[in-house]
Amino acid sequence: MNHSVLALVPALPLLASFLLPLVPGAARRLVGPLTLLAVAFIGLNLWPLVQTEPMVLAVGDFAPPLGITFYADSVSALFVIAVALVTLVLWPWSGSDAGNLDRKQSLTLILAGACGGLAVSGDLFNVYVFYELAAVASFGLAAGARTAAAQIATFRYVVIGSLCSLLALLGITLIYVQTGTVNLAHLAQLAPLKLHNPLGLAAFFMILLGLGVKAELFLVNTWAPDVYATAEARVSGLLAGLVSKLALLAVVRLLVLIFPLPEARDALLLLGMLGILSGEFAAFRARDVKRMLAWSSIAQLGAAFVAFAIPGPAGLAAGLAVALHHLLVKPALFLLADRWGGSLAQITGAARNSPVSAGLFVLFILSMLGVPPLPGFWAKYLLLSGLAAQPEGLWWLAGAIILLTTVVEAVYLFRVIGALYGRDHTVTPKTQSATAVIGSGVFAAVLLAVAFSAPLLALPLNRMAVQMADSAAYIARVLPPVLPGVAP
Amino acid sequence: MLTRYSALIFAAGLAFMLFVLFSGLPLGAPGMVVGQAVLDRAPAEVGAANIVTAVVLGYRGIDTMGELAILFAAATAIGLVLGRSRGSRHCPPAIQPGGFILRAGNDMLFPLLLVVGLYIILHGHLTPGGGFQGGVVLAAAFVLPVLARPTDMPSHAAMAWIEGLAGAAFILTGMAALAYDRAFLAPLLGTGEMGALVSAGTLPILYLAVGLKVGAELASLLLSLTEEGGD
Repeated sequence: MNHSVLALVPALPLLASFLLPLVPGAARRLVGPLTLLAVAFIGLNLWPLVQTEPMVLAVGDFAPPLGITFYADSVSALFVIAVALVTLVLWPWSGSDAGNLDRKQSLTLILAGACGGLAVSGDLFNVYVFYELAAVASFGLAAGARTAAAQIATFRYVVIGSLCSLLALLGITLIYVQTGTVNLAHLAQLAPLKLHNPLGLAAFFMILLGLGVKAELFLVNTWAPDVYATAEARVSGLLAGLVSKLALLAVVRLLVLIFPLPEARDALLLLGMLGILSGEFAAFRARDVKRMLAWSSIAQLGAAFVAFAIPGPAGLAAGLAVALHHLLVKPALFLLADRWGGSLAQITGAARNSPVSAGLFVLFILSMLGVPPLPGFWAKYLLLSGLAAQPEGLWWLAGAIILLTTVVEAVYLFRVIGALYGRDHTVTPKTQSATAVIGSGVFAAVLLAVAFSAPLLALPLNRMAVQMADSAAYIARVLPPVLPGVAP
Repeated sequence: MLTRYSALIFAAGLAFMLFVLFSGLPLGAPGMVVGQAVLDRAPAEVGAANIVTAVVLGYRGIDTMGELAILFAAATAIGLVLGRSRGSRHCPPAIQPGGFILRAGNDMLFPLLLVVGLYIILHGHLTPGGGFQGGVVLAAAFVLPVLARPTDMPSHAAMAWIEGLAGAAFILTGMAALAYDRAFLAPLLGTGEMGALVSAGTLPILYLAVGLKVGAELASLLLSLTEEGGD
């Protein structure tokens, strides 16, 4: 397979989004889904190839570190598949206005291209470009609901996003001034000498804040509840489920390759813990179902940050499990909350009219709480056992916080279940739309498949984590030593 | 009281933090690691007299693809927010046509701006400038007539075609390298003689695509803003 297929992961969706408004007639509606299927096909072909040997592409045939490098290991391949398929499930199939539907489909394709780019990029500035691309596309999609509330929420999102992007750019500048390169492998090589100092750490924190906006990191996540509550359900699902994971992946690559320092891990751990606490308690207080889901999403991503802070492959495995589980659960919940948004009084007794959707809702909620044998249990188990294996102190505090907030989580999630199956309804709850039921049904099927094959999945998960943690192999693969046996 | 000054306090804190950080950097001694290597190798590898272009379209070509997409996403998002169907034409009736001086000036400036814009784009691989700068000049050339004759707007459909095809041309040129078993966005057609108008392989084609896309994107963005202003 030509290595350039890696470049097609971002390039194909972008090409399709440029050409989409020009395609005539009914074929226009097929452009997006077919493109996403093609990207999924690339990802599926990539998966077996990169298991043993990650794939490297020097874009434009300019050898690293001069040109931009794309790097795909098994985690990248998995995320390429996830980006394509999740976007397909959350695809805007229909809309009231044809022109605006074109625009939404174009922006969704751009978002998929940017996320694919984030999954395979091996260049710090290129990561920034794709991150910005994802940001601009998601600003447009978030405001696409075209209500005043959505536009106000998006405005706040734009302000926070732009300010923090600027911080990330300053961080990249700091790194470039000190090292003279932006290639991740080259940076990993130079880091112990040039970046493991206060200035390097400051650069990492600035980039962490910048990328943290999309990853719903504590401090810079204040936009999330308003945007998720006002945007269309598909968009909330994409942002909370998919985009946040790709931003997280970029942060983790930096952490593993360039800044494997205790200070950087402590920052992730602390901000993650604060994210869990603030998210869970705010979700407990929230009276609006979508807002509650948004806050719980912040808490879940806090847990993912805590997991990735754990050193070594164990932390990466736990983090991947938490992140992938959230990727399956949250978009489906947002899809179901589209008709069941608002206060709990409005969905009281909804289970009577739509028992299937209510059943799905309960399934996702149980998995989020970590009820065995659902995947959420294994994710929490990996996270807690990873934390427990660390020396006491902050790590054990994080474990205690996760266990305690699970109780809070149970209270507010069971409140929703209670309402769904309640009897004393004052208003007739809305029935679910077909797209929401089908979309969340697909996620539920994957969730159940994972639940039944959980013992089989432990091995590939560990292999992915080990491959991702091996920064020496990353460097050697991108920048092969000039002479055999001589370190570069 | 506190909320009124909080932005000021925040800005001061940020400025102090940045001052402390950047004062720790060695001033005037940039780490020319990759930069020096590119300076040494670009003339032979890419053949563009303007090294900046060699970096923008060669070494970091896929960043430029991303930037084009960012512009497209921004224009699409603004279209979505301001919301009118693509291809529809709408003339604000209340706007008066421009005066004689504006119209006469526009008639003289339009061809001049067109030539300057295209010159900057086509010489992007030789002299400072290129697709982004020339594209902005082109956009200005098409927005000026809107000021002079607001009732006679250029059509959105034509803009949409230029936008789409120019963006596609960039990516398809990149994909053409795959047919020669080269990597995505590898410059083709040889380097040529440095300094000649036809040199640096596919870079001028890429810059033409960038220029047209930037021009069409900015022009259609400004047009959708003027249209909304008439409501």
